Amino acid sequence: MNIKIYPKRYIQFIIKYDTVFIFLVMLIVSALVSDVFFTATNLFNLIRQVTPVGIISMGMLLVILTGGIDLSVGSIVAMVGVLCSLFTQTMPLYLAITASLICGLLTGSISGYLVSVQKMAPFIATLALMSIIRGLGFIFSKGAPILVSENASSLTDFGSGNSLGIPNPSLILLLIFAITSILLKYNVFGRIIIAIGSNEEAVRLSGIKVNAFKFSVYAIAGFLSGVAGILTTARTAVGSPVMGSGMELDVIATVVIGGASLSGGKGSAINTLLGVLILGMIGNIMNLMNIPAYSQQVIKGLIIIFAVLLQRFQKNSN
Amino acid sequence: MITTTFIKVNRVELRNISKSFGGIAALKNVTLEVIAGEIHALVGENGAGKSTLMKILSGACAKDNGQIFIDGNEVQIKNTYDSKKLGIGIIYQEFSLVPALSVAENIFLNQLGATSSWMNWAAMKKKAVELINNIGFSINPSLKVADLSIAEQQIVEIAKALSEHVRVLILDEPSAVLGPREIQKLFDTLNRLKKEGVTIIYISHHLSEVFRIADRISVLKDGTSVGHLPVAETSRDSIIRLMLGRPLNAMYPLRDPVIGVEALKVVDIHAAEKVKGVSFSVKEGEIIGLAGLVGSGRTETARAIFAADRSAGGTIILFGKELRLHSPQMAVSKGIGMVPEDRKQHGVILSLSVKQNISLSNFKGITDHFGFINAKKEKYNTAELIRRLDIKTENENHETGKLSGGNQQKVSLAKWLNRDCRVLIIDEPTRGVDVGAKVEIYNLINELSHKGVAIIVISSETTELMGICDRILVMRKGKIQGELTKEKYSEEDILRLSIGATLNTET
Repeated sequence: MNIKIYPKRYIQFIIKYDTVFIFLVMLIVSALVSDVFFTATNLFNLIRQVTPVGIISMGMLLVILTGGIDLSVGSIVAMVGVLCSLFTQTMPLYLAITASLICGLLTGSISGYLVSVQKMAPFIATLALMSIIRGLGFIFSKGAPILVSENASSLTDFGSGNSLGIPNPSLILLLIFAITSILLKYNVFGRIIIAIGSNEEAVRLSGIKVNAFKFSVYAIAGFLSGVAGILTTARTAVGSPVMGSGMELDVIATVVIGGASLSGGKGSAINTLLGVLILGMIGNIMNLMNIPAYSQQVIKGLIIIFAVLLQRFQKNSN
Repeated sequence: MITTTFIKVNRVELRNISKSFGGIAALKNVTLEVIAGEIHALVGENGAGKSTLMKILSGACAKDNGQIFIDGNEVQIKNTYDSKKLGIGIIYQEFSLVPALSVAENIFLNQLGATSSWMNWAAMKKKAVELINNIGFSINPSLKVADLSIAEQQIVEIAKALSEHVRVLILDEPSAVLGPREIQKLFDTLNRLKKEGVTIIYISHHLSEVFRIADRISVLKDGTSVGHLPVAETSRDSIIRLMLGRPLNAMYPLRDPVIGVEALKVVDIHAAEKVKGVSFSVKEGEIIGLAGLVGSGRTETARAIFAADRSAGGTIILFGKELRLHSPQMAVSKGIGMVPEDRKQHGVILSLSVKQNISLSNFKGITDHFGFINAKKEKYNTAELIRRLDIKTENENHETGKLSGGNQQKVSLAKWLNRDCRVLIIDEPTRGVDVGAKVEIYNLINELSHKGVAIIVISSETTELMGICDRILVMRKGKIQGELTKEKYSEEDILRLSIGATLNTET
């Protein structure tokens, strides 16, 4: 049966570009089921909503490429958001932002230290930090949302504003995506990160400081979580200790939908960005269709399973 | 090909067996005829396909093509259960014992639960003792296998195979871990089994043993059968020529060493439990060999020098300067390189391209100040090394895991050619590599030494060390047991040193 050969080739093509395929399917489905989806307002909202997850997903991608995981990102968003609001009340804005960013970087560095130098399992180390940092967020804020100081209106203006028809925070996402993409493709950093995830011991025996690279990916993930925390605070003008709860799972899901392997060594920035959009679209379209929140959770989970199964086919077809 | 026809039937006949792994042919139309009640030796270089052929017979590995006949009837062997039913027992090179279980449990592992769900410890231990005594050894059946020596484990393996009624017994390199006295006992057992009518297939590349024990020899080379000969009608030299496809001395490059100053000196190296005070030195342009049995501490010594494992003490002096090395990264920055023993786990990253693997050891020449890789320079640099080492790959972007073992090993070497090392440690340079690539690797090592690199070669193949090294140090139980200079090389002396026996020449 010759006819069967052609569909096979199409299937292989689809499997190769599975993330793009899922993205396109989602786009078509969204357009079909809702008239509102392709309106400027909705797309604008969609992009704005996915931005924090998107920014962190770039850091998570780096961590996952080394074969690690970071569960503390959602807590960092909250703590840095709270701290940023507090800082604006006592410091000039540029100092408040710098200090907040450093806090994100430092918390990420603690995970990095535990994983690389202390050889702690990433899951455990970041699980512990997830709890610690979430707690610190509540302690710093005394459990209440903190308003951004009125003196820092340029921060809130930036966070809620837009340029060229795109929300400002999303422009920062694009910048971070571009940098990640370039680092992964053209820089030694990306080359080594991917190699570590493929076979850490072989990289170590090649004479590379594996620890330094493992440390840095967690530091970067912490830093980017801080960025997301500041931007969320800037948009809402409030730093709340409950921000970003459960966010780590969304971030991991986007990276996985984007085709990255949780065992490391495989994944790309562009696919991760598509993963971010796919997950965002799932939520967006279900909201437009008035699907209740509980059902949304179930559907979201099913779509993640489907996406990962598709990647399994890809592995097998190799 | 000479096949002597007897009136006896073939107990085992393999006809036109083919098998390939990921596009690389391991066996090509191999034929093997084993007469009932004989000891049939299967010889060939590492990677010739001996083990693969036997795995097919024992059902551990599926054949692509070909037929298997037992006593003249074609049989289908799809899994190890099928082969067991046919009375085929196999003792693998890698043991299949469970370390946490006792000797008795291991021997009867396959039969546990066959008659009752309850353990009859007394009967089991009694039978185990009988089996082991029958082979001429005594091992306490209650001991855990993990606590046995490797030689004792080998005995347990044999007892396990004999515990079931076997008609065909396959032994894959059984003598590799045994001392001379134990080998003699093994041979006595095999001869006794032969008298009892068991057909034995004996895999080895130690020809001296083969000539002592076997009735007939089949030779494999690069996955094809190149000869079937009765022992009485052949000689060692003709078997070697069949195995290698050339006389032995043509395998190795002519050594014309230009020895310089002392490059590396190690004094009293200790590491974990495995290395207990090793000292030696190697000069520029010199190739020294580290011989010894598996587990003698050779690899651990190399890893300690390279700072791959935390060293427990000792001094490393490189060109007169004492070094404190804490990581491979430091060792590499000082000019020490190591090609690890386990190519697939440590030497190369199989999922990455040839280019990515080679560049990993040295990004200096191909990047700018910000670590951005100059694609053109990288491509040029890699292509140059691929050409120099004659790595057979479509291009530099080909996945390393899809190359043959020999070419993967060349990539592993290329990493260190990419970085000018002053001392290079090569652990098992040609394990699982075909003969052609072996010769190329030997030439490359020789060429490197001519450029003044001090080279330490670790190998389990004694002939290889004798062929390429200027000196051989023999290790035993974490210490250097003795040193042989080129004019005193003999396979026997190296073996004697490695098992702790005295040298013939020292009397």
